[in-house]
Amino acid sequence: MESCGAVEKELDKLGDRYASANGHVQLTLDDFINSIRGFNNELLGKPPEEMLSQATRKAISEFVSRGKAAANSVSSNHKDLHGSVSKLGKSIDRNFTSDFSAVITDGAFEGERKQRLLNEVICEHFFRQGMLDIAECLNEDAHLELPHGRKEPFLELHRILAALRQRDLGPALAWAELNRDELNKRNSPLEFKLHRLRYIELIRLGASKQSEVLEYARRLAPFAEMHMKDMQLLMGSLLYLHKGIQNSTYSFLFEDSSWEEICDIFTRDACSLLGLSVESPLSVSVNAGCKALPPLLSIRQVMQSRQVAGVWSSKEELPVEIDLDQEYRFHSIFACPILREQSTEQNPPMRLVCGHVISKDALHKLLVGNSNKFKCPYCPVEMSVTDTRQIYF
Amino acid sequence: MADVKTLEHSTLKVPYELLNKQFRASQKVIDREVSKVNVTAGEFEKKMKEPTLTVGDVTSALTTMVDNLSMLKRKAEESIQEEIGATHVIKRRLAHLQERKSYGEQDSSPPLTWQKNRLDRMLVEYFLRAGYYNSALRLAKHSNIEDLTNIDLFMMSKEIEDSLSKFETKPCLNWCADNRSKLRKMKSSLEFNVRKQEFVELIRENKRVDAIKHARKHFSSAEPQQVADVQKLMGMLAFDCNRQDNPYSDLLSKDNWQSLVLQFRYDNFKLHQLNSTSVFTATLQAGLSALKTPHCYKDEMSMRNPDCPVCSTHMNELAQPLPFSHCANSKLVCSITGFALNEHNPPMMLPNGRIYGMKALENMAGDNDGRVVCPRTQEIFHVDDLEKVFVM
Repeated sequence: MESCGAVEKELDKLGDRYASANGHVQLTLDDFINSIRGFNNELLGKPPEEMLSQATRKAISEFVSRGKAAANSVSSNHKDLHGSVSKLGKSIDRNFTSDFSAVITDGAFEGERKQRLLNEVICEHFFRQGMLDIAECLNEDAHLELPHGRKEPFLELHRILAALRQRDLGPALAWAELNRDELNKRNSPLEFKLHRLRYIELIRLGASKQSEVLEYARRLAPFAEMHMKDMQLLMGSLLYLHKGIQNSTYSFLFEDSSWEEICDIFTRDACSLLGLSVESPLSVSVNAGCKALPPLLSIRQVMQSRQVAGVWSSKEELPVEIDLDQEYRFHSIFACPILREQSTEQNPPMRLVCGHVISKDALHKLLVGNSNKFKCPYCPVEMSVTDTRQIYF
Repeated sequence: MADVKTLEHSTLKVPYELLNKQFRASQKVIDREVSKVNVTAGEFEKKMKEPTLTVGDVTSALTTMVDNLSMLKRKAEESIQEEIGATHVIKRRLAHLQERKSYGEQDSSPPLTWQKNRLDRMLVEYFLRAGYYNSALRLAKHSNIEDLTNIDLFMMSKEIEDSLSKFETKPCLNWCADNRSKLRKMKSSLEFNVRKQEFVELIRENKRVDAIKHARKHFSSAEPQQVADVQKLMGMLAFDCNRQDNPYSDLLSKDNWQSLVLQFRYDNFKLHQLNSTSVFTATLQAGLSALKTPHCYKDEMSMRNPDCPVCSTHMNELAQPLPFSHCANSKLVCSITGFALNEHNPPMMLPNGRIYGMKALENMAGDNDGRVVCPRTQEIFHVDDLEKVFVM
C-alpha cells in the first residue's frame, strides 16, 4: 500500500498547488481589473477632448506596467506548477512497475489458433458469470462462431440459480429429479436439501398448515436412510408447530444460511455434472497470476542485475516457487526431501518400510557398493531395496 | 499489496500523461493571452510618450487592456479547472486501488468483488488492444468501471487508426503535431513515414510537381539517417508507376498504410508508457505457469483435476509453451476431496500404493462397512489395510 500512499502524497501536494494557483489568478487579476475598469469609467465620464493631466498620465503608466507584470506573473506562476506535476509522474514511475516484458513468454498466445482459444476461454467465463450479452458481443467482435450448445447449459444453470435466490425451489427440484441417478452416484445431498427447504417453508407457515406438512413429510421418506439425523430434526420440530418454532430450540431451521448453502451445493453439482470446474478457470488463473507476477519480476530483476539472466532461458520451470494458497492447489507434487527435486516418472516417490518417502534416485544414492541394504535417512530403520515400494499421490 | 505495485502502473500513468498534456496545453493558452496583454501594453507605452494626449486618446486603449486582462483571467481559470479535473481522474483511480486493502493484513488476497473488478478491468484493456471495441465498452459499462479504464485513449487511437486505414493522413499528422516534443524524444519516425506515404500517393496520382513541392517542404530538414530514404523516394519521380517492372513497387504497395497503423499504435502505447503486451496476457501467463504441473499433461485422464484451470482443454493448449511451476517442497492434496494432506488429514497408502487423505478414506469406510474403493483402480480394500506415509 505504501506505493499508493506515496503517489497520493504527491497528488495531494499537487492539489494544493492547483488550489493556490487558482487563488493567485484571482488575487492578481480580480482587484486589478476592477480598479483599472473603475479608473477608465471615470475617464469616460469626462469630455473626450480634455487634455490629460500629469497625474493621470502617471496613473495610466502605472496601470500599464502593473498590468504587464500581473499577466506575466500569472504565466510564470502556472509554469511553476510543472515541478509538482512532473514529481507526480516520477512518483508513479518509482512506485509502480512499468515494464513486465521480461517475464513474458514471447508468442505464447500469438497466432490465430491461440487467439481463438483465449477468446473462447473468455467467452465461457462470461457465460459462467451470467454476462450473456457480453459473451455474445465478444463472439461477434472476435468472429468466434461458438457452437450453440456451449451456451445452453449455462443458461439453464443461471435460470435455476436466479430462481433459488428468489426462494423458488421449483426449477431446482425439477432439475434434481431429472438428474437423480447422476447425483446419487456422487452422493449428492442436493435433492434431499431441496425437499428439506420446502418442508421448512411449510412449517414456517405455522399450525394452520399442519396437514400439508405431514403430507409433505412422507415425500422425505426415501431419503431417511442417508440423512437420518436431519430427518429426526425436521420431524422433531413438529412438536413446536403450535407454540411457534421461531421461539423453540428448532429456530435454527429458519436461518438464511440454508439458502446460501443450497445455491452453493447446486452450483457445485451442476458444474460437476457438466464436467466443469466450480470456479471460472479464467478467474482462478488470473488471480494466481496476480500473486505470481510480483515475485517473478523481482527475481528477474535480481538475475539481470547479477548478469545471470540466461539461467532462465531453459524455460522448463519458473525460477522461484510461487506460494499459492491451498485453494489454488489442484495436484499433489512430491519433491524429494533429499534431492530437492520434483518427482518424475523415472524418479518416482518410494515409501520406505518405516513410512518415510524419498525419491527413487535418492534411495539408490543411499546404497553403498553392491549392498542391497540401507538405512532410512530419517529414522534408524534398516531395510533392503525390495522392501520399499513405489507410491502414487 | 505487491500485486497493485506490479499491475497498476498504467492505471495511474495514463491519466497522468493526460494531465501532463493538459498542463502543456494550458501553458500555451495562458502564454498566448499574456503576450496579447504585453503587445497592448507595449503600444500603450509608446503612445504615452506623445507630448499631448486627450482623454479620448486613451480610453479605448484602456478598454482593450481591460478586455485582454479579463480574457486572460477567464482562460487561466478555465485551464486550471481542466487540469484539476485531470487530477481528479487520478485521484479516483488511486482511491479504487486503495480499496484493495480494506480487509486483513498486507499479503492477504483482495476482497472478492475487487478481484472480479480487476479481472474485468484487465479484460477491457485486452479487448481495446485487440480492437474489440464493442465488447470493451459493454463490459466497462456492465461492471461500472468506465472511469477506471483507459477507454478514451483507445477510442481516440481507434479514430486515427481508422482514418489511416482509409488512406487519410490528417488526423494522424495532427496527433503528431500535438505530441511533437515527446515523439522527438522517442526518436519516432512516424511523422516522416506519414509524409513519405503522402509523397508516394502524389506520385501514384501522377502529380509530380506537387510531389516535388511536398518533398521540398517536408524532407529538406530530414535527419541524416533519413537521407537514403529521401533519395530513394526521389528516384520514384523517374518511373511510370503503372509499369509492371517499376523498381519501386514495394513503396507503392498499399500494405504500407497498414504498417503506418501499426507504427502509430506502437508509438501511441510508448507515448503513454503502455507495455506492448497487455496486463491481462502477462498475468494470465504467470498464473498458468504457477499452476502448471506435469500432472496436467499426463495421458491418464484420471490424473487431471477438473477444477484445475491448466487441465481444462483450452487452457491446456494455451499453457503448453509456458514454463512449469517450480516446487522445492512437497505440496500434497487428496485427489478425492481436494483437501490438503497434513497432520489433520494425514496421507494414507492403500495396498496398491495409491495415496489418499485419511478423511476421505474414513468417510468411505464408514458408509461401506470398512471397505474402501480406490477411485483410480476400482480395487476394494479394507480400512485396516491402510498404512501411514510420512512426507518431509
